[in-house]
Amino acid sequence: MKKFLRNTGYFLKEAKRIISLNLLSNIFSFLGTGLVLFVLGMIVTGWWITGRMVDMLQEEAEISAYYREDLDEQDVQKLVDRIKGIEGVWEVRLIGEEEAYNRMVDILGEEAHILELFDENPFKAFIEVRIHLEKIKPVLEKVSELDGIEYVRDNREVLERIQSISDTLRILGYLIIIAVGITTMVIISHMIRQGIYNNSEQINTLKLLGAPGSFIGFPYLLVGLLLTLGGGMLAVALMIFIIDNGYAMISGSLPFIPLPPKDELVHGLVVLIMAISAFLGISGSLFGLSSTRDIEGKG
Amino acid sequence: MIEAKGVSLRYRDGTLALNNISFEIGTGELIYVTGPSGSGKTSLLKLLMGMEYPTSGSLTVLNQPITKREAMKIRKLRRKIGPVFQNFRLIEGRTALENVMMGMRFLDIPFRQIRKNALNALSRVGLEHKAYSRVENLSWGEAQRVSIARAVARKPALILADEPTGNLDHDNALNILDLLTSFKDDDTTVIITTHATHLIENQTNATFFRVNKGNISIERRCEKNEEVLA
Repeated sequence: MKKFLRNTGYFLKEAKRIISLNLLSNIFSFLGTGLVLFVLGMIVTGWWITGRMVDMLQEEAEISAYYREDLDEQDVQKLVDRIKGIEGVWEVRLIGEEEAYNRMVDILGEEAHILELFDENPFKAFIEVRIHLEKIKPVLEKVSELDGIEYVRDNREVLERIQSISDTLRILGYLIIIAVGITTMVIISHMIRQGIYNNSEQINTLKLLGAPGSFIGFPYLLVGLLLTLGGGMLAVALMIFIIDNGYAMISGSLPFIPLPPKDELVHGLVVLIMAISAFLGISGSLFGLSSTRDIEGKG
Repeated sequence: MIEAKGVSLRYRDGTLALNNISFEIGTGELIYVTGPSGSGKTSLLKLLMGMEYPTSGSLTVLNQPITKREAMKIRKLRRKIGPVFQNFRLIEGRTALENVMMGMRFLDIPFRQIRKNALNALSRVGLEHKAYSRVENLSWGEAQRVSIARAVARKPALILADEPTGNLDHDNALNILDLLTSFKDDDTTVIITTHATHLIENQTNATFFRVNKGNISIERRCEKNEEVLA
């Protein structure tokens, strides 16, 4: 370790020399890695946003149970109590006709005046049942079977559709992570191999002088790390730009989409992309370094 | 220090480079390996450096057996050897000082001492004024001296010089040989290969390995040109 620290200056100088030896190729690798990581970052962003949407909508999972009109207040209260006892139900509220009407007024906003066309309140009282989404099916069945319940309305279809979008994005995300990983590793290991072959004379001399593999290989590991970290920084810069503009646009024209806090999203992305960059840089370099064994100077 | 018992070296193409040779070399000896081109001199040096492994027989250098199985240990063994390569193997784009320091960076020597040793070695070969010159700007003879400085700066137990006089004029060649032999002491063995036998014909206090078609004959010369055949 002491020897390593003592040689830090040498390693950095070597890394700089290796990069400048193939400057153009290294610039392209840096740009390529940056763009690939940018694509990954954007997929992860989409992943997080839809995941959050699903989480929020899951909290909103509810069914509306409409009861027979001939039930008196006591019967309705009994019904409410029975629904409360069903597994998967976390809140039950009785919504009167008046409240149902007012809710519709809120929803319609400026168009609420159309309700004035009705002589009487067209809305019926119902029981609002908030449930855990994963239990929606058995809860629906049990509530529907209750004596006094006429019919049940649910928003399962919408929730399931969003859930399936989120699942698709998740699978796409995994595939892109694998593709990005392989692409970046191939780019970096190729650059490292190229560097090694350009310096094969020097590597061989160091081997003949007895230099350990770690001493010979560390500058190349640094090169791989610098290229991917540089690419990661480029990707993060592009993503911050896109997220800044995207947030401004979405919060203006699509305010109902529940976006995660921007700072939290950016912080998470920076940590994720830089960690992936470092991991890919090191593993790509190690993969490329395995080719030094091909160079003469046995032992 | 070095012990070879019935060592043969046959290359993959079938060429027999060394044929059943045996010898012993003690600490602090000066060895000249002579013979015509293609006789097996460089092959012998390659074996001593662990760049090749004996195809039969046993070879031990500084208590380290030279076998394929011991490859990792052979890398460590090389840290005790100061090699002077026929084509110098200096690293271009670096100064003479950087090249000399390069051979010590991975050894257990403090950084200041590495620099001091390198400057001392360059001074010893008469090149302190070229310490900061890039090696590609040096003359053939100067590059040879930097290569020697790199070999001796790390105070090796064994100096192996492969044809250090090649491509040098008579005077420069003699100077290089004198320089190399000056590093022989009680702790350091020096082995030099050369085909220029006329340069060493009057040399005393040395052992001569005459290699021919893979066979070796050994002659030890003591003080006052007294000849002892081994």
